[in-house]
Amino acid sequence: MKRFLPFLCCLFLLAGCAAPASSAEPEQAQFFSMDTVMSIRVYSGGGLDAIQAARQEIEGLDKLLSRTDPDSQISALNSHAGDGLQVSLDAEVANLLSFAKSVSQLLPGCFDVTIAPVMDAWGFTTQERHIPSADTLSAAMALVDSNGLIVDEQASSARLERAGMEVDLGAVAKGFAAGQADAVLRQQGVTSALLDLGGNVTVIGAKPDGTAWQVAVKDPQNTSEALCVLSLEDQTASTSGGYERYFEENGQIYHHIIDPKTGYPADSGLLSVTVISADHMLADALSTALFVAGPDAALDFWRSREDIELVLCTQDNRVIVTEGLEAGYRPAGEDRGYTYEIARR
Amino acid sequence: MRSPAADRRRPTLWDGAVALAVVACAVFLVLFLRPAQSSAVTAVITLNGETVAQYRLDQLSQPVTLEVTEADYPLTIRAEQGRICIEHSDCPSQDCVRTGWISRPGQQIICLPNRLVISLSGTDAESFDAVTG
Repeated sequence: MKRFLPFLCCLFLLAGCAAPASSAEPEQAQFFSMDTVMSIRVYSGGGLDAIQAARQEIEGLDKLLSRTDPDSQISALNSHAGDGLQVSLDAEVANLLSFAKSVSQLLPGCFDVTIAPVMDAWGFTTQERHIPSADTLSAAMALVDSNGLIVDEQASSARLERAGMEVDLGAVAKGFAAGQADAVLRQQGVTSALLDLGGNVTVIGAKPDGTAWQVAVKDPQNTSEALCVLSLEDQTASTSGGYERYFEENGQIYHHIIDPKTGYPADSGLLSVTVISADHMLADALSTALFVAGPDAALDFWRSREDIELVLCTQDNRVIVTEGLEAGYRPAGEDRGYTYEIARR
Repeated sequence: MRSPAADRRRPTLWDGAVALAVVACAVFLVLFLRPAQSSAVTAVITLNGETVAQYRLDQLSQPVTLEVTEADYPLTIRAEQGRICIEHSDCPSQDCVRTGWISRPGQQIICLPNRLVISLSGTDAESFDAVTG
């Protein structure tokens, strides 16, 4: 028997060398909200109940923040534009409006929460996209002014000063929803999860095996390919690019990220901007604002702060990755002509 | 009391047989217990969250055309071996048609006005967990 004991021991040990059982499938849900597709995948803790709670949170926010839902608080605010009424809002809506105004001040001329009339003029909100006439655009631009949005956070209320002004929270709502859903999931005991709110990816914790999540950045010129892959934990990666929604007229492409200074689609030398931050709402808002700002201004802005990292894809096929991402990133588009560089502080 | 085996200094034929058996088991485990290497790709088409069709793209021998007439904006989906696209859509934005062909697990085509999603899953997992953009 002793002769075979080592043999049996070896067999026992070899069994440990077998392929690991496939990691448990996550609990997940996919749904439409905030005019986009969202998915939540929970890998540990919480399960389906947590997903349901997070989904309800997001859908509740959509009812408050949607500009196309006539019963939303934002619709109420817009419908009272110019009549002097201070519209009562939930505290979180007032805080969000205040945050959106603050982004306008962080990057003057690159972001304006009252851009809605111009978006409507281009048809980006109605899906009937077209080039607006000069008169239509001029009239819409006259209504864009975030200084005319007066928010009273203490009283949880706001008003728009001039008739015709409208607020659209499309550039911040998904980031806000990510933050709220993140909090709900953690309250429910979730320690490892992945939220994809219309291309805004929020990761909770690390993967079940303890390694960082691998989040690819879409190639703006070939959306079925990746530009690079980032290693993230407890952060949001938010991307804005002209390729997301656009139309073509007379051989020219017109995308949906409007420069508040000109009323035309931003033409700043960038094809896409990805902002990575532990502040989900900030990541969402800045991806739009920095796309309008352009590569040099975006990097200057990054150097002025400690709470964001960037991936910039320029029109001349350069991919600029800020140094905070360097350790965990890998390029994926060299064969498509991209060159990669690390931006230093 | 020492066993006869402990008194021997040189390995016997039996010792060699045991070593060979261990090596054979190791080879068996490596070859047969590693994850499957097949490249199955399944396309699931959902409309308002309800599955309307499902195809194993790697097993399609002939192209398939699916007319989704119950959608708000009727559309035509074309599937071929290994790939799928929205060939035509009456939706105003046309973002779904512009997405073109998709072929790898993890990829999606979304028609927002129709609330229609084509999702690919499969055994050849991507080297990443999510895509931003």
